[in-house]
Amino acid sequence: MCFTTNFWPFLVQGLADGFLYALIALGYTLVYGVLQLINFAHSEVFMSGGFASYFVLEALIGTSQPHGMASVGYVAIGIGAGAFGGALVAFLLERVAYRPLRRRNAPRLAFLISAIGGSYFIYNLAGKEFGRNALEIPAPFLNGPAFTLFGATIQTDYVVVAICAIAMLIIVDRVVAMTRLGKGIRAVAQDAETASLMGVNINRVISQTFVIGGLLGGAAGFLFGLNFGVAYTMGFTPALKAFTAAVLGGIGNIRGAVLGGLLLGVIENLSVTCIGANWRDVVAFGILVAVLLVRPTGILGERLGRSA
Amino acid sequence: MRPATKRLGLPAAAAVLALATFGGAATAATAHGVSAHAAKPTYTIAYEGPLSGGNAQLGLNMEYSVKLAIDQANAGKTFGALPFKLRFQAADDQGSSTQSPTTAQSLIDNKSVVAVVGPAFSGATKAAEPLYHAAHLATVSPSATAPALATQHWNNFFRVVADDNAQGPADAEFAAKVLKAKSVYTVDDASAYAVGLVGAFDTKAKQLHMKVIHQEAPGTTQCQAGTGNVQQYGALSTQIVSSKAPVVFYAGYYCDLALFAKGLYAAGFHGKIMSDDGSLDPHYVSQAGASVADGSYLSCPCTNLGNTPQDKAFATGFKKMAGFPIGTYSAESYDATNTIIATMKKIGAKVTRPALVAGLHKIIYNGLTKTVHFQKDGNIAGSTEYIYEVKGGKIVELGMASQLIAKA
Repeated sequence: MCFTTNFWPFLVQGLADGFLYALIALGYTLVYGVLQLINFAHSEVFMSGGFASYFVLEALIGTSQPHGMASVGYVAIGIGAGAFGGALVAFLLERVAYRPLRRRNAPRLAFLISAIGGSYFIYNLAGKEFGRNALEIPAPFLNGPAFTLFGATIQTDYVVVAICAIAMLIIVDRVVAMTRLGKGIRAVAQDAETASLMGVNINRVISQTFVIGGLLGGAAGFLFGLNFGVAYTMGFTPALKAFTAAVLGGIGNIRGAVLGGLLLGVIENLSVTCIGANWRDVVAFGILVAVLLVRPTGILGERLGRSA
Repeated sequence: MRPATKRLGLPAAAAVLALATFGGAATAATAHGVSAHAAKPTYTIAYEGPLSGGNAQLGLNMEYSVKLAIDQANAGKTFGALPFKLRFQAADDQGSSTQSPTTAQSLIDNKSVVAVVGPAFSGATKAAEPLYHAAHLATVSPSATAPALATQHWNNFFRVVADDNAQGPADAEFAAKVLKAKSVYTVDDASAYAVGLVGAFDTKAKQLHMKVIHQEAPGTTQCQAGTGNVQQYGALSTQIVSSKAPVVFYAGYYCDLALFAKGLYAAGFHGKIMSDDGSLDPHYVSQAGASVADGSYLSCPCTNLGNTPQDKAFATGFKKMAGFPIGTYSAESYDATNTIIATMKKIGAKVTRPALVAGLHKIIYNGLTKTVHFQKDGNIAGSTEYIYEVKGGKIVELGMASQLIAKA
């Protein structure tokens, strides 16, 4: 049967894709939590992270081939640069495309349009400034088979992606569950009005939520770019998939976004072996529709109260 | 609102003033120009192809060649004194078939355009050609290779390269006889160009008793404004490795092939990668990495230039103008443009669109890459395929496909 031949290689591939979806999906889900809005410019946050890490690593690594501890250092720098780039763009987006509308009590549709406008603006600007060809991030480590698991060859970059993603996902989960900032985010997500009466600074919490989403999205941009290169159009498809993952897992739910991302990645890749490469997206979105028909809130979803 | 208007007031006035001044100057200049060269009419030769988007590099390779040919002709270097002046116009269609009709219409509406070099891509050509045909505007493509383009009875359609009915079968024969493969895995990017090419390849491969497995992987968002997912190649590569096919033939463009080749490498593929003229670009090697790209075979109905003085002069002139060396289809575009100019020279000072179409059907022009002479359907008469290999991070021409096959 199609599932049994090559099951493990496809599972591994699917998880590698899924971790990236999960990182991006968190940006959608966190913002949705506090604003009950889909930030459609998040794809460009992701792209900005990719470019930021490209420029930093290009300057630091150039044509040399780092190995050993230097590789670990460069991966950390790449993630840092990507996260910073993503966070900066997310912060600016909130300031320019969201806050003025929020202050004037604009209708929901206005937010959607200003986000789409922001997205087009940023990616066309990037295409204009950085060129239309895909750019290769200089390799911080030598990619190759790391080890074999049930007959599936695991590449070094999968290991790097998985370790970085898991670390970041745990950190975010803990931050939201345990810190004062996390408490603020949860309070605003539950009931913004009451939260503000209790002394929570809503504007600050929203801004910080965008920044956290941007940190994750930007870092994902770096991890994605390691394998596929960075280009001004790189955000579109992965972000759409991540949005799907967030909805699949239950939008507004952090663990749901992770679960949705991993599921989507694995399903997509298994569909390639079962039906064919050109059916990949058809199957992925078909399953999304099927899940939502049965469970409209998504797998782990629940209503999370009112928005700010 | 009010302060904004106020703030805008001064610059706006300045702009109007500036416009008036420049406008006046421009009119004066035109008047002067007309009086000086009253006898010489000006005609425009346009270029249509991708000048932005993922395939911009291919378009730029061509654009500068067209421009160079026009500049040289105006300076009297290539054709001596001409009874007309030539102007160049670039038209960007991003290689996309949705954009191409609009681009074509803008060129058709410009009455001074007498011929178009392009469209560069087969899909774009297919979409735009009905409009060009209705306007009797000759198009000479340096690169559109889909066979179907020559079967539509567009008498204004010409191309200076062989079509995929020549390229696909030559590639299949190369895989069977030189690489000695018993089976092949073919993948296309779902573009008009790739589907035609891969069809011709598959048919010939089956005739040669090869086992053919075919998959379609839509071109990605990172490449020619496609819709595919850049992550799709990982799973596809695993599939290919488990099929044990020794040769993969990819019909598509370099930016996707680079991603695909990386996927194959990661999946542990040890066979040979073959691809087409869309992949014949140094960016394939730089995006995939030399260690991944090495050993890939690429085919093209185009050839590297030799060492004749004309070839060298073209290469130097191109580099001086473009700032980068000649690439895929640069020489073909130069030939296409010069073929048009040669035809115009024969017609004389009064060039019309229909006269140019009729003239192109008769012309015989000795170009850098070949002697350009068109068949009735617009295809080039007698053309050959060339095979290239990536060696040590460089794309090296191995020679004519027919000769390599005969030797094997």
